[in-house]
Amino acid sequence: MIFEIAIKMKKGFSNPHSTHLISDIKGIGVKGIKSSEYMPVYRIDSDITKKQAEIIASELLSDKITEEFSIVSYNSLSDKKIEKNSIEVWFKSGVTDTVSESVVKAIKDLGIENEVKVKTGHKYIFKGETDDKKLTKIATGLLANTLIQEYKIK
Amino acid sequence: MNSNVNIVEINSLNDNQLIELSKKNTLSLSLVEMKEVQKYFKAAKRNPTDVELETVAQTWSEHCKHKTLTGNIEYAEETSKGKKVKKYSNLLKETIFKATVELNKKWCISVFKDNAGVIDFDSKNGVAFKVETHNHPSALEPYGGSATGIGGVIRDILGVGLGAKPLANTDVFCFGLPDTKYSEVPEGMHHPKRIAKGVVSGVRDYGNRMGIPTVNGAVFFDKGYMANPLVYCGTMGIIPKNKAFKEVKSGDLVLVVGGRTGRDGIHGATFSSVELDKESDVSAVQIGNPIVEKKVLDTMLKARDLNLYRAVTDCGAGGLSSAVGELGEKTGVEVQLEKVPLKYKGLKPWEIWISEAQERMVFAVQPKNKHKILKLFKQENVEATFIGKFTNDNKLTLTYNGKKVADMSMEFLHDGVPKPTRPAVWKETKQLKQKPVKASAKVLADDMKKVLSDINVCSRDWIIRQYDHEVQGQTVVKPLLGNSIHNFGPSDAAVIWPYTVVKNTKKAVVLSNGLNPEYGKIDTYKMTTSAIEESVRNAVCVGANPEMLSVLDNFCWGNPNKPEILGSLVRAAQACYDMSKGFEIPFISGKDSLYNEYTIDGRTYSIPPALLISAMGVIEDVDKTITMNFKSAGNYIYLVGLTKNELGGSVYAKIKGLKGIVPDVDIKVSRKLMKAMYDAISSGFVEACHDCSEGGFAAAVSEMAFAGELGAKINADLIKTDFQMTLTEKLFSESNTRFIVEIMPENKEKFEKTLKGFVFAQIGTTESEQSLVIESKKSKISIKTKIKDLQKSWQRQLLG
Repeated sequence: MIFEIAIKMKKGFSNPHSTHLISDIKGIGVKGIKSSEYMPVYRIDSDITKKQAEIIASELLSDKITEEFSIVSYNSLSDKKIEKNSIEVWFKSGVTDTVSESVVKAIKDLGIENEVKVKTGHKYIFKGETDDKKLTKIATGLLANTLIQEYKIK
Repeated sequence: MNSNVNIVEINSLNDNQLIELSKKNTLSLSLVEMKEVQKYFKAAKRNPTDVELETVAQTWSEHCKHKTLTGNIEYAEETSKGKKVKKYSNLLKETIFKATVELNKKWCISVFKDNAGVIDFDSKNGVAFKVETHNHPSALEPYGGSATGIGGVIRDILGVGLGAKPLANTDVFCFGLPDTKYSEVPEGMHHPKRIAKGVVSGVRDYGNRMGIPTVNGAVFFDKGYMANPLVYCGTMGIIPKNKAFKEVKSGDLVLVVGGRTGRDGIHGATFSSVELDKESDVSAVQIGNPIVEKKVLDTMLKARDLNLYRAVTDCGAGGLSSAVGELGEKTGVEVQLEKVPLKYKGLKPWEIWISEAQERMVFAVQPKNKHKILKLFKQENVEATFIGKFTNDNKLTLTYNGKKVADMSMEFLHDGVPKPTRPAVWKETKQLKQKPVKASAKVLADDMKKVLSDINVCSRDWIIRQYDHEVQGQTVVKPLLGNSIHNFGPSDAAVIWPYTVVKNTKKAVVLSNGLNPEYGKIDTYKMTTSAIEESVRNAVCVGANPEMLSVLDNFCWGNPNKPEILGSLVRAAQACYDMSKGFEIPFISGKDSLYNEYTIDGRTYSIPPALLISAMGVIEDVDKTITMNFKSAGNYIYLVGLTKNELGGSVYAKIKGLKGIVPDVDIKVSRKLMKAMYDAISSGFVEACHDCSEGGFAAAVSEMAFAGELGAKINADLIKTDFQMTLTEKLFSESNTRFIVEIMPENKEKFEKTLKGFVFAQIGTTESEQSLVIESKKSKISIKTKIKDLQKSWQRQLLG
């Protein structure tokens, strides 16, 4: 099973990542984007249970005071649906992903012995006037370095 | 041989085919070099394996062997005095290194031979300093490139002698202009703003996570760096003198420690010998992991103090090939490549051998310590694996699963690279004084704000505040100084007091730098003398003794195959010699990065030459260091040094589109004046001191005022000049060897006595009214500006 854990700021806490992004988007000349929400995403490929995925999300990957998490699961990557008005950025396979290495280690330290594969990614959801062309410009101009990362837009 | 290894047909190839082979495999070897390889293997009556060919390419790369600076150069100079020709058989040895040898300072412990330069700190300890460049990787992947840049230079400090403890980082960048139009950025390249932000984040994340403060730096913006940014990273560390040397003996074991090996950065070293183009290799990108490096750092210093190894070096460019090769240069070495721990399966032996995966160190361990050292690393969760042993046959022998995949003589590898001969030319262009520059009070007030908000003068707090410059708790003089979080100015230099490592010490280490590519566009000789002077001047400003300073050189230049570019490099190297000898300040280490140019759509973008000079020295008494912000109202303001009509390459000239003469250095006067300033500061006569550099007197005095939240009243007619100058020229000329000094009235006599015989003038007073008033009765001009307005101009948004 593949679990995707996305970490989001709780309402009332500002996310500097999102604020900076809006000013950067204006900087590259893309107009009409009102707001953006940034979420780090962890893709965990393992035979762990949903309960265990929740433990990983709450105990390891999120800060209970300022952040909340959401988990989606699917059997294979082809079942995955991408949210509307969003950009996802992931490392290309073979590129060293140091955060994922630490997450794998930390999951073991939580006492979960199952074999896990972890990939880290970034998700951005936009509000305002978006279209494919704008999202592609934001993705290639600001968010993904296509040398080492791939991006998906919807 | 082994199925994972290919035999490369080379012996039957003709010249064209040899060039083709070098290109196809990204070996970056020239025809002459390929022929030398062919000659070696013809004599050995066999063709090389891919492992052998890759090893030669790595070892002979520009990055590892510095072929240009150590090669033959035929230099021709055309000046008004006539033509001059000079031959160099090793530019580095005949200029920079030569000065160090001739100066023969007793306090230099280890220079130009190890991973960093080391000088005396006290009777028991030395301080090590190294600055590296990581330009090409940062152009492709700004975050990963700069992070591995800082990670790499930290490992240089860990790999000097038997390992120094890192105390501080420095970083200096040259970027393209942040307001560059997106349509002007070549396809496949990142926008300068994106590069700048990525690079800063990379240094921040790596440096902060390593627990090493980033305390000093500089940023220079110019459109010439759009496609090719420069990223200089430096680290300073402290090392017990009895651990400052390494020695490998036959029979010692080869231990690789830290990160695992993957395909990261393959061809990184040879890559720095070729121009960047759109199709630059993907695998050249390296990704850093500071957590692994931090564990290596902590554990290896423990192992050092337990005397568990005899030598260490870092895995940098060229990976194991360079690191193991260097350690085994005098003995010979045998490595079993299958023992190297891998990140994932499927690496070919040559990839294992040259991979530039990060966070790896190589040790030479006496067999008796084999188990002890493994146990220590294991306890701290650091991977450590023995992969071979040092021999006494002066050969490099590599095996993979029991079969030989490389067998070459060390002599061929390390001394076999043929010396190229390159032509270099320099034609003098006359620098002339611009027509007298005059302006009204209103225009001047406006120009002061323009200069302060210029991209190369304005506040770097957006960058500096992302860095942890306080961790370890030893930063005494910090990068931003002032009397509150809102009121601050730029520090001249950083001072680190290593009291947690050296108990009860009063001594401290000063770090500063000098860089001004704007001057180099006109004259690389003056750019060099000015950069060296600026680094020394900056150190003197905080209270360092110029007689106890050492410097590092970092050349970033374009393509040395172009004679005029090489000519400008020769001029700079010659200036290094002249300054080093004249100032009696030795170079202790250095590095060069050449081929900084980028070709796309048939157009070549070459960078403006940049020489970064980083100065390091030991301060006897940390209590006697001072800072740049004005301290209290009613004190006297002095301008020490002569102001000359030198607007060439200045910020003001750039804004106004003027020409002019580039600032020169009078070595004899400068050296003595620096010493006198040190005497005055260390005697406690000086409240605040700041140097005049980019933006001239006007920028420097403004910075002192708003950092101290005090006003100042200046009589510009009292400023000492060599010939008649207009008020505008006095305010914005960037003449070297000038200090603005704040003195308490009771110290007036003592201060003036210390500076007797030098050019200086009491030109004004500090005021409680928060305005900067500059008056000239001769010009009938009085400029009055609120310091809050000056501060606002300086604190404009940089990248944010």
